Amino acid sequence: MEDDVPVEDQAAAAQKFTTGLVEAFGVAGRVETEVREEAVFVDINGEDLGLLVGPKGATLTALEEIVRAVVQRSTGGHSARVHVDVGGYRQRRWEALADFARNLAEQVKAEGVERALEPMSPPDRKVVHDTVAEIEGVATASVGEEPRRRVVIRPA
Amino acid sequence: MSDDALEGSNEVEDDYDDYEDEVGAEGNRIVGSRARAVVEHCARALVEDPDGIDVDVREEQGHVTLLVHAAPGDMGRLIGKRGRVIQAVRQLVRAAAASEGTRATVDVAD
Repeated sequence: MEDDVPVEDQAAAAQKFTTGLVEAFGVAGRVETEVREEAVFVDINGEDLGLLVGPKGATLTALEEIVRAVVQRSTGGHSARVHVDVGGYRQRRWEALADFARNLAEQVKAEGVERALEPMSPPDRKVVHDTVAEIEGVATASVGEEPRRRVVIRPA
Repeated sequence: MSDDALEGSNEVEDDYDDYEDEVGAEGNRIVGSRARAVVEHCARALVEDPDGIDVDVREEQGHVTLLVHAAPGDMGRLIGKRGRVIQAVRQLVRAAAASEGTRATVDVAD
């Protein structure tokens, strides 16, 4: 097997699998896949796709896990990062999280008192770190152990 | 942050033709056909030998049990490290089953 499968081929594998999966679910979803900065982004669009998101995004998380595993099998080795979204659900959620983090950071800056966020997954914590990094006068750190690991925003 | 997922019933016509049209005695689709389609699609894509995938379906009082058979060398691919892959498959199958008003569990045959 090839050591390095082109990222476009990995995107094609993700697209093919996800399209078939949406059909198996019997929902009317359009699958669009693109490559940005060497990562594969799969977005499923259409009406009534709540089924593919699930409670607290659990089904979407599972879907992403499977698409990753399928892409990994198609490369047999090193594979690209793969992100899956349904109707921009993750995108909107991350934007809301970034807004929340920005507000909290401004509060920490104004009051000079550190604040802890609730425990979050690694990708969610990264959104907080990256957002707060753009604000002067505050710094972030992750504290605690998974799955209770959380971000603290401190005056810097 | 809390996020209420957009949970809802998905009443979509059965318009996919890639799977055998399984019609029950009363002319209804067999319970759990969507869950089965999902598990088959995932399993075939995850393994090296898709033809080695076979799914036994058992239905008892609205509960569907899907037993997946795979080639011996493919068991690990189906299950994944610390069972991550099979857990994800189970979540998808739960969602598919719920959308057709049933419950389904997935097991991998030894």
